[in-house]
Amino acid sequence: MDPPLINESSFSAANPSAYSLAEIWPFSGEPGGSGSGLGLRMGSLGGLGDSSVNRDGSLEESTVTEQSGGGGGRKRRDVSSEDESSKLVSTSSASGLKDSSGKRMKLARSQNENGGSKVEVEESSAAGDNKPAEQSTKPSEAPKQDFIHVRARRGQATDSHSLAERARREKISERMKLLQDLVPGCNKVIGKALVLDEIINYIQSLQHQVEFLSMKLEAVNSRMNMNPTIEAFPSKDLGAQPFDGAGLLFGSHTPREYAQGSHPEWLHMQVGSSFERAT
Amino acid sequence: MTSITTSGVTLNIKSCRTKFAHRFVRSLLQIRNHAPPSSSSSSEEKLIQKRRQRIKIAAYSSMAHAVGPRMNWSRALLFKLRNRACRHRKKKRIVVIRRKTKKASRSSQGSVPVDQAKKLRRLVPGAKSMDLCSLLEETAHYITCLSTQIKVMQALADHLSK
Repeated sequence: MDPPLINESSFSAANPSAYSLAEIWPFSGEPGGSGSGLGLRMGSLGGLGDSSVNRDGSLEESTVTEQSGGGGGRKRRDVSSEDESSKLVSTSSASGLKDSSGKRMKLARSQNENGGSKVEVEESSAAGDNKPAEQSTKPSEAPKQDFIHVRARRGQATDSHSLAERARREKISERMKLLQDLVPGCNKVIGKALVLDEIINYIQSLQHQVEFLSMKLEAVNSRMNMNPTIEAFPSKDLGAQPFDGAGLLFGSHTPREYAQGSHPEWLHMQVGSSFERAT
Repeated sequence: MTSITTSGVTLNIKSCRTKFAHRFVRSLLQIRNHAPPSSSSSSEEKLIQKRRQRIKIAAYSSMAHAVGPRMNWSRALLFKLRNRACRHRKKKRIVVIRRKTKKASRSSQGSVPVDQAKKLRRLVPGAKSMDLCSLLEETAHYITCLSTQIKVMQALADHLSK
């Protein structure tokens, strides 16, 4: 019941049955509905199992269904509260459910074991407050989309896990597309690794460019400093006021005062024109 | 493309650019005024190197200031630069400690290759402990800001050298 193992199992959502379960469960809204659906699944599962174990299977079935409903409810409550232990427990129980429905063709005995351990887990976590679970399900419907985004990394709930994972992947690919638009010549590259390589190269080149430009600016700047004949030119352009006054003016955040100095104008002209041309 | 929207953070590049330009010009003036007028001091090469460094730092810090504290990378950059200023006064103890903690960064990648993401983390400031989504987002913003910075610097250099 350690979380990494469970995460592994839930990551392999290529299993079609688990996938469909993950599809169905969060959209069925109320925990009662989901519980009944799971009960149906479990029932078919019990029918598939041995007749010798079937008695135990049916017995365990009911407990499993009601516990699963509780688990679903508590999972939603965990989203609002930060209880670490109960979060872990609900995750594990839900993933156990998913596991069991995924391996539907296996013996019902293993199912029963799963159910047994689940019951134990539920009982151990029953010390925590179970009551607000059903109450808080309704208000937490609306921000569900949000917590999927936020909580996906923790591996919190397995039913919404694959959903969250998918959402995350979509987000990543969206960002990748944005980056591809930003980096020139990156649109033709196929494959995330190559795109990332391209991005890395681009950033490095940009940083080198900054270095180079600072070198250039240093040369220009110091030359203007040393040569008094050129000094007249930048003082007209850059520092119409003495430096302190300029600092005071430009440090303030009113654009009206920006416009008073002479150098903001050429900055707007120069930089603006070059920027518009470039984009 | 004057603004890109990434998850609630709207970045106005134009205002960023003007802010950066003002700040950068100001710090350039400051550097020029503070520099010793004659190069009669010990070693010319060292002085130039130092001034280069100062200009670079000024460029980065004014960029980070222009972006403000809403992005992770600008915050990290400002912190780094501030720390760097402290480091000259103190010894290098802080750096050693921080190196050790850096190695404990986790890697949570789904479909994106790990080593590339690691490299990217090294390049983007403050990206050491981010998840992949925000890493990409910050990278996009960082790239935009860097290119803006380069354009401004280029324009400045062109203007001053003619």
